[in-house]
Amino acid sequence: MKHYTPIFILYFFVALCATAADYTDDAIRTLLPFDAIPAITDPQFVSASDAKLDLDAPVIGVTFNDESRAYSLYLLNGHEIVNDVVGGLKIATTW
Amino acid sequence: MYDHQTRSLWSHITGEAIKGPLKGKRLKPLASMPQIAWKAWQLNYPNTRVLSVPTRDGMRENRRQDVYADYHASQRAGVSGMDYTDNRLPNKSLVIGVQVQTKDGNTQFRAYPLTHFTETAIINDTLGDVPLLIFHDKKSFATAVFKRNVAADARTFTPQDRYFVEDNTGTRWNLVTGAAISGKDAGKRLERLPAVNIYWFAWARYYPETSIYR
Repeated sequence: MKHYTPIFILYFFVALCATAADYTDDAIRTLLPFDAIPAITDPQFVSASDAKLDLDAPVIGVTFNDESRAYSLYLLNGHEIVNDVVGGLKIATTW
Repeated sequence: MYDHQTRSLWSHITGEAIKGPLKGKRLKPLASMPQIAWKAWQLNYPNTRVLSVPTRDGMRENRRQDVYADYHASQRAGVSGMDYTDNRLPNKSLVIGVQVQTKDGNTQFRAYPLTHFTETAIINDTLGDVPLLIFHDKKSFATAVFKRNVAADARTFTPQDRYFVEDNTGTRWNLVTGAAISGKDAGKRLERLPAVNIYWFAWARYYPETSIYR
């Protein structure tokens, strides 16, 4: 079954595009299957001096109880959610 | 987004579960810096940890380009083909979206178009009964929303240079960290509120009752 999944997705996406003009309410529409965009559930980090980010690269910054994080938006484009624990708070950073 | 435990579906804008066993539950929005240039974040938080994503071949993801650059530069609104009809602002106008709880228990919403921040980095405003300081630096894209109260006093802030302001008591504040660095209230912190950088069409769709700062 699994091998056919991509075909279903493609078909579904085409079908949605074809009927796009009909969307007038807030109904939930599925564009991608679960985990097509892989969220980060076990995040890894490096120090500021080891980070390979360009100086003008955009990041989301959070700081709780003197613990801070920077999440590159360019990385988040491919993952969209980081499940993390910062300063004792269990957070989901979303983009 | 969905949660692994119950497969409920959640809105990443409102934080509310909209389908599944947890429908109606809400995640608590937390205050963050929705966007800032790495250089400015690193300068203010030198001990920050930085997300690093391993790849299957033992390397690290190294993405130095915005894969959505074409989308951001286009007039396209979203990916679903839905029409967005709140024409108070153009769909792709970037705004800072703010919501506050007022004393009577209501929630008020206001959008601050980034076009207001070309000449100044701060706006002193009041939403409902909540005095607000809205900060956006056009160069680093740093964005922050603070309550203007220090203890019981509402302060009024004046820009000094890119990241700093002085209030009417002569206290000097860093608006990336929200910390008072000199003056009467040195060592205190402004209370940071949740805020998002968001396209107008999305903000207006989720919060149609929003006002716009003019």
